[in-house]
Amino acid sequence: MHRVWAVARNTISQGIRMRVAAVVIVLLLVLLPLMGLTAVGDRTLLGRLQTFVSYGLSLTSLLLCLLTVFVAVYTVTDDIKRHHIFLVVCKPIRRYQIVLGKLLGVVALDAMLLAAFGAIIYGLAWGMLYTADAPEPQVRQARQEFFTSRVRLDTKIDMDHLQAQILQEYNRLKSEGRIPEGMTRQRALGILRSEALNIAKSVPPGYAKEWTFQNVRVSDPNTPLFVRYKLRALPSPVDDQVFSQWRVGDFRTRDATGRLTGNAVPRYVVRRDPLRTFVELSVPSSAVADDGYVAVAYFNDPSRNACTVIPEEVQLLYRSGTFTGNFLRALLMIFSRLLFLAAVGVCVSTWLSFPVAILICMAAFVTGTVNGFIVDSLDLVEGALSLLYTFTIKPLLWLLPKFDGDYNPTRFIVEGRAIGWGFLGQVYLTTGLIKAGLLVLLGVLIFHQRELAKTAV
Amino acid sequence: MVAEQHAIETFSLTKVFPDWWGRAKVVAVDDLNLKIRHNEIYGFLGPNGSGKTTTLKMLLNLLHPTRGYALVLGGSTADPAVSRRIGYLPEESYLYPYLSARETLDFYGRLFNLPARVRESRIEALLEMVGLMGMANRHVGTFSKGMARRIGLAQALINDPELLILDEPTSGMDPIGTRQIKDLLLHLARRGKTILLCSHLLADVEDVCDRIGILYGGRMQVEGAVDSLLQQSDRCQIVSGPLSPQTLDRIRQIIAEEQTDCDISTPMERLEQYFIQIVTRAQAEARPTSGAVNTMKIGGFLAEEAAPQEPGVLETLVGKSIEPTTRGDADLESVQAEPTPPAAPAEPEDRDLLDDLTRAAATLPTTESGPPSPQEPGEEEMTERPTARPEDQPVETVRQDILEALTGGAGSQAADADGTTEMARPDEPEEDERA
Repeated sequence: MHRVWAVARNTISQGIRMRVAAVVIVLLLVLLPLMGLTAVGDRTLLGRLQTFVSYGLSLTSLLLCLLTVFVAVYTVTDDIKRHHIFLVVCKPIRRYQIVLGKLLGVVALDAMLLAAFGAIIYGLAWGMLYTADAPEPQVRQARQEFFTSRVRLDTKIDMDHLQAQILQEYNRLKSEGRIPEGMTRQRALGILRSEALNIAKSVPPGYAKEWTFQNVRVSDPNTPLFVRYKLRALPSPVDDQVFSQWRVGDFRTRDATGRLTGNAVPRYVVRRDPLRTFVELSVPSSAVADDGYVAVAYFNDPSRNACTVIPEEVQLLYRSGTFTGNFLRALLMIFSRLLFLAAVGVCVSTWLSFPVAILICMAAFVTGTVNGFIVDSLDLVEGALSLLYTFTIKPLLWLLPKFDGDYNPTRFIVEGRAIGWGFLGQVYLTTGLIKAGLLVLLGVLIFHQRELAKTAV
Repeated sequence: MVAEQHAIETFSLTKVFPDWWGRAKVVAVDDLNLKIRHNEIYGFLGPNGSGKTTTLKMLLNLLHPTRGYALVLGGSTADPAVSRRIGYLPEESYLYPYLSARETLDFYGRLFNLPARVRESRIEALLEMVGLMGMANRHVGTFSKGMARRIGLAQALINDPELLILDEPTSGMDPIGTRQIKDLLLHLARRGKTILLCSHLLADVEDVCDRIGILYGGRMQVEGAVDSLLQQSDRCQIVSGPLSPQTLDRIRQIIAEEQTDCDISTPMERLEQYFIQIVTRAQAEARPTSGAVNTMKIGGFLAEEAAPQEPGVLETLVGKSIEPTTRGDADLESVQAEPTPPAAPAEPEDRDLLDDLTRAAATLPTTESGPPSPQEPGEEEMTERPTARPEDQPVETVRQDILEALTGGAGSQAADADGTTEMARPDEPEEDERA
């Protein structure tokens, strides 16, 4: 371990003295405060905070990813190319210890830089809250929706049930001969599915729709519940706004007079909401029943709206921890990327030259960034081609990490949404341990076998 | 232990470099059976590209042999138990340019897992020894080649190795540094170390090595003790103190009466001639080599020009203040000469060491005579090889020395510094006694 650490220390010295490192550090030191000052967002305090932290974390992550790749590749390839490695391998150190030392050095450098820039973003965000000349409701909104860590419960449409309905409908239409000539079953089913989904989501005037949530455990009863949603309307009103009538509570049991018998305190909210953008509605947490049940219902009041309203992605959020804890987990999430990229860099550098190794790392990074997108696109491919993908590109994509979608911590922080320890643990297990571990193992095996003084003839 | 009879032993060691298609392109080392005994200084010679460095790289596990294998201290250098007893100085120093001299030594010390206290005391002692104490905190990247070489040598010694593998240790060194290294090697050998020395500077090799091997085209051309390889029994050399011109005239008369020629001058290097002979012969046999093919021309040219009137390599480098001497022992006899001014005024910390070293130089004219030999037209002189170096020093004393100097066992840095400074001094009591 002493020897691994000796190599790691040397790698840190090497990394810090690289020009790329200096550029990244200076760039972040200049850009982060500048972004804090210039972030505008939707002109509310919350919007400014969201914009700043979103760009700040993304930029830090991007630059540190690039730096990791460069340092990891450079430290190994340069040692081999300039023969510094000769004086290291002839010392009583095993080759795997050299590889691990290099990795540890890069990762330690990352940890230091990430901690430093994370602290800067964290400090600037709080600074914006305290120095902002914003009205009180905006400050409260920022505290409740940004400086928090909330659990998010999503609603799902029962797709199995829907699928059965679609099939039934298809068979009915087919037997009646109403499926147009030349339309494939696949296409017909697709059309039926999107129709059914629209019907399942939409609330025509005079109708109501209810979503139920189980296991809502609000730790602090003084903190509110948040219903987060995005509305669409058909046809779209001229002012792009609709009236919403919401009720939140436990409406399962009523007595003979029709009064609710549960101990939850129901809430009724009427408001105007903009379309096609996420909005949040906060209600006291007393609306939740003792068993953790809560129902959220939307009523499309025909006296106010003339359109069909389609509420999309109705979510329930409630506070589960502190912003600080969540921010730390977001940094750890970014760190898992750096860990993986350092492993890729060190692994490929044990046998490839600097430019080739950089190219491969960059390909891994870019693919990771759009991994979810690629996987989704490949899922749409059908037939023989799909089989080909399943056995070629898909396993490769599995080996690469996912940096987008749910693996992007910026989205969590912007929404004030908790990154679960369980989820973080799973990311570290798959990305940090299995994927990075396999790469390091490969690198160690190659480095152990290779002739370091190889002369190309 | 059979395996440990030799410090280094290779068995049909062969290295073939293939081309891009995997076809054998260059046979760098061919069926090499090297046997280096414990506690000897072995000179590994050969022209550029003869396979010396390739052999070293195979010994150090930097290259895998195509055929055959090598035992170093009875095992493989991939084994930390073996590599912890080895010091290696590559042909170039390959140091991290961004580390200071002290950090460099600290880094390599850590790789040996040396405890912090031992590491620190050794670093101080080594910096003192190589004369870089004043530049300990300067980045190695700003060092001249010779200075980098000194640090390279210091890192090779940080673990007090049993076996020292040195590839061109004196290249880029100033003459005083060269002297220092040679004295150091002799000193280390006296202390029971084994040294494998690769060098083109034949004077250096001749000065310190017990045995030499000359490699050409990856094959060992000749191997043996320096004394027996170079001895010429049909010649005679008389070494004396300063003589008056009248005396010299009388000597010439006497020799003329013996019907033989004589030439009186200061002694010169002789190994160059021998080396070139070997290489020329090998080339005449059209042995394949991956190295420079024009070696013969250069060698022949050098052989012709290496007239006695020309100063030797060392003389040229040292300048007028230091007269040439033949071998370590001869130098040691003349330790009483006046000290020369330090050659590197920028390194005041070195002064004492340098003075000690340069004191070894003294004017020492020698008279030589012998029949002219037809194939070597008169310019070659024969110097009686001085007696063997004092390897017969009791090993126990040596071990004690090492312990005190390097492990810091006596618990004081002063002891360390003393011990190591001593290494660099040619005027040690041991040597004086022997002289």
